[in-house]
Amino acid sequence: MTNLKTLLPGEFDRLNKYGIFKALFVTLLLWVFLAWFLEGEVLLQFIPLIFLMDSVMMTILLVGATLFYEKKEHTINSLMVTPVTENEYLLSKIIANVLNSLLTVVFISLAVYLLKGVTYKVWLVVPAVALVTVAHTLIGIRLSYSAKDFTSLLINYMVYVFLFFLPTVFAELGLIEQAVARFFILLPPEASGLLIRSVFAPVEPWKILFSYVYLALLSIFLFRFVVKPQFISYVMRETGG
Amino acid sequence: MITVKNLRYKYPKSKDYVINDISFEIREGEIFGFLGPSGAGKSTTQKILIKLLPGFAGEIAYQGRPLSSYTDEFYEDIGVSFEMPISFSKLTGLENLQFFQRLYRRTVELEPLLKRVGLWDDRHKKAGEYSKGMKIRLNFVRALLNDPKFLFLDEPTNGVDPANARIMKDMILEFKQRGGTVFLTSHIMGDVDELCDRVAFIAEGLLREEGPPRDLKLKYGKRTVKVEYRENGELHTHLFPMEEIKTPAFFRLLQEKDIETLHSGETTLEEIFIKVTGVKLRD
Repeated sequence: MTNLKTLLPGEFDRLNKYGIFKALFVTLLLWVFLAWFLEGEVLLQFIPLIFLMDSVMMTILLVGATLFYEKKEHTINSLMVTPVTENEYLLSKIIANVLNSLLTVVFISLAVYLLKGVTYKVWLVVPAVALVTVAHTLIGIRLSYSAKDFTSLLINYMVYVFLFFLPTVFAELGLIEQAVARFFILLPPEASGLLIRSVFAPVEPWKILFSYVYLALLSIFLFRFVVKPQFISYVMRETGG
Repeated sequence: MITVKNLRYKYPKSKDYVINDISFEIREGEIFGFLGPSGAGKSTTQKILIKLLPGFAGEIAYQGRPLSSYTDEFYEDIGVSFEMPISFSKLTGLENLQFFQRLYRRTVELEPLLKRVGLWDDRHKKAGEYSKGMKIRLNFVRALLNDPKFLFLDEPTNGVDPANARIMKDMILEFKQRGGTVFLTSHIMGDVDELCDRVAFIAEGLLREEGPPRDLKLKYGKRTVKVEYRENGELHTHLFPMEEIKTPAFFRLLQEKDIETLHSGETTLEEIFIKVTGVKLRD
């Protein structure tokens, strides 16, 4: 794991140089701008939504964008003929995303405190957001494996949103029966939302525990049996024979 | 240094073998040319040798040990220059190299290398703004920055202007003189002829021919000497079998005629390439 100390600063350096940080910062300002118009209970419902969108949606897009650039510029091939291991490479992506999500937590928490005087248990948000980001970084990497270019990555992303995010929304709108909706906790975005919402509103303890265990096991499964085994074939694809 | 025995490989979704039972050896301190038409299996073989393609059949040993038994230390030993330009486009040339340099335990100074390939003055320019030739030279420096023992070079001078190609070839020869070993693939037969101690030709996954360029040229060439001379304003050609050049007839021709050209029937690597692989060179 000695190369992580080179890979991680490299990740942040490139996020900066490729303008991705700027895009993330603009998004954060937009969230703060929207939060400015909200008060009381509505604001307390809006803040977990920001964290959920950031650690689920932005994470998938961010890791997809970095993998897309590395594939396009073939730098991923070059990295794989250095002493960097697959574990180090994948961990650098996961840690960089977790740090980004935690930066969002700090920024938004400071902003709503300074602008609105709103406080909450930030130390409880941190593990929830970290775990959600780990799971969705791995989901983002897997979606990138099936993408030929950035457009197809966006299509994969939309399919993921449609299949895993919208059912929860439909359930909340009463379009899906509760008998069916109670199984939605098995959908990663729903489990993620539960964990983050639990800091701001009461959630049944078994659901919190289940979501933590489920997302942790899902992350381990994805890393061990999906993302890592398919990594080399992803790297070697489209490089000629 | 690397021994390959009965190597076979097919891609997961393919029915046919891309590499079909090939064996060869790359000796320490030599430049080994691996030649063949596009799609013949050159790049696949290189990817297997640099441990990027698992799942092959056969045996590969590096310094007497199975390649599969090596982990990170293998990559400390080797330098790889891919055919396509590889760089983080928004980072400068120097930043690109410094990033990769930090991944190795053993490294060399970048300034002399960059000066030698003519990139020192452009080191603070973004790699995305480099020309193709500059990007290829950056690839080459990147392959050398860990002071490797073994270089894998895929078309190293393709797209580089003649002056810089000359410098790169000199650097490859100097690397060999210092004891380094090189696995080289190239379509530029002039470079191969100049650099390689031994070459192997691969076509359709099979190793068709192997040996030092000189030996192959003798094997595939004609043992003749062609003499061209002018007499009464007309050009005449006389072909002598090699066995006859010690005869009086040959010496008489040299003494009495106004000789314009004298050629042995030795062939070129390009002709051998076409003959052995059955495919014409693209460029």
